[in-house]
Amino acid sequence: MRSHKVEQLGIATVGFFWCFLMWFSTAAFSPSIAATYHLTIKDLGLLASSAIWMAPVGRIVAGWASDRFGAPRTFAAILAGCGLVSIASAFTTSYELLFAERVVVAIAGVSFVVGVQHVAQWFDAHEIGTAEGLYAGTGNVGAGVGALLLPRIFGADYRSAFLWLGMIALVVAAWYLWRGSAAKTMERRDAVRRGGDLRGMVFVWTRYIAIALMLAYAMSFGLEIALNAWLPGYFARGFHDEILALGFTGVAGIQIAAGTFAAVASFNASLFRPFAGFMSDLFQRKGWTPLPFIAKELSYAPRLHWLGISLILIMLSMIGLTVAGLYGFLPSSIAVLVALGIFVSFGTGGTFALVPLLFPDRPGIAAGFIGGISTVGGIAYPLIFASVKAHVGYLYVALYMFAPFILFYFWAARYERHPQEHGLLGRALTGQRS
Amino acid sequence: MNHVDIRVAPHDPWYKYGVAVLLFEMAVAIAVSGYSLYMTFNGLGGFPGKH
Repeated sequence: MRSHKVEQLGIATVGFFWCFLMWFSTAAFSPSIAATYHLTIKDLGLLASSAIWMAPVGRIVAGWASDRFGAPRTFAAILAGCGLVSIASAFTTSYELLFAERVVVAIAGVSFVVGVQHVAQWFDAHEIGTAEGLYAGTGNVGAGVGALLLPRIFGADYRSAFLWLGMIALVVAAWYLWRGSAAKTMERRDAVRRGGDLRGMVFVWTRYIAIALMLAYAMSFGLEIALNAWLPGYFARGFHDEILALGFTGVAGIQIAAGTFAAVASFNASLFRPFAGFMSDLFQRKGWTPLPFIAKELSYAPRLHWLGISLILIMLSMIGLTVAGLYGFLPSSIAVLVALGIFVSFGTGGTFALVPLLFPDRPGIAAGFIGGISTVGGIAYPLIFASVKAHVGYLYVALYMFAPFILFYFWAARYERHPQEHGLLGRALTGQRS
Repeated sequence: MNHVDIRVAPHDPWYKYGVAVLLFEMAVAIAVSGYSLYMTFNGLGGFPGKH
């Protein structure tokens, strides 16, 4: 296999960036689509929510496929499949068919776990945090670029946008197949392929530490996508008078201000993610293990501590968001929100700096499980936020969900030897060698 | 995954460029956030994509 790991990182990042661009392109053009087909608010909500429908199951399947068939083939198949359907959607005249096609294009979002597996197959333990952070953080920017640039380039002509996005996806797929290489060595590739069976999947899914990482990712990425959907409405309702006092007028003005606060949090959560991976590497290099209870002797113990700190910071800032909201002082709410966005990136970057180290023979299956199930948080948290009085929802989620998640993480990360051996089923039942 | 003693393993040459990229991304995040919040708190506009 003649390639360099930086080239593989570049291919994976470009592929992920383009997939994210396709994933969020529907949302970027939802006003144009709504105007063309005379959609109601309810229809628009359904179209917006459809973007994450495929993520939980799709990421699980994609993670397994990347272990089994290699990341380049899996990633190219996702790019080509979504690209072709995107091209087809450019010529569709029926809204029902367009909706179905855009749900299929949203499968592009599952590519995240494939790239995680690809990067894990090329980078060594001492640099995996920064490598995974650069991949995920830079790729995530595709969503922001979609929102910022696509409407400016194509105006209201969503058909041309979908056509170009699809055609370029086919080019990226061909490039991925041509230059992409599944692993640094054949030995590493074979070990992962052997681990990518049903028993390997049952093994990963039943490990306490995998469940703890999945909950950690639900606290970070799950929260990030939940806040993307929730925050604009929260600020528009919860700080209506304060926003008007800033000089904004009418519904459109309030939307601009409320949308900005939400976008800033999301932007920081994406762009600080590589730094979070770097911090995980730094903790590892310095051997920092400040937290009690969590293992201190494992070869990757400092990374467990960095993630533990990140989760505590997320929980505290959620409580802070409630406190700031109850005081009704907008600048303090925004300050806490910016901090929360950064802490969320610490959680996402810290989680995927650990996954390949804990499950070196099944990085795709583990990434699929952790990255897939956790997206359910994007649906669950807004339901809780909406079910209680404004401002208090963050406190409820922090105390009744995040605190137990953190306690479980501390408990699952306490083993000083092979934490992945401890789970709901014994090794014999999952068919694993001791 | 190659488990060398990572506390003494030297970084590959790519690493410093990787760190430069992540610092650049952080700077972009801080700059865009600062600009957007300044515009919003002065009632002038919002996040670049939300005008």
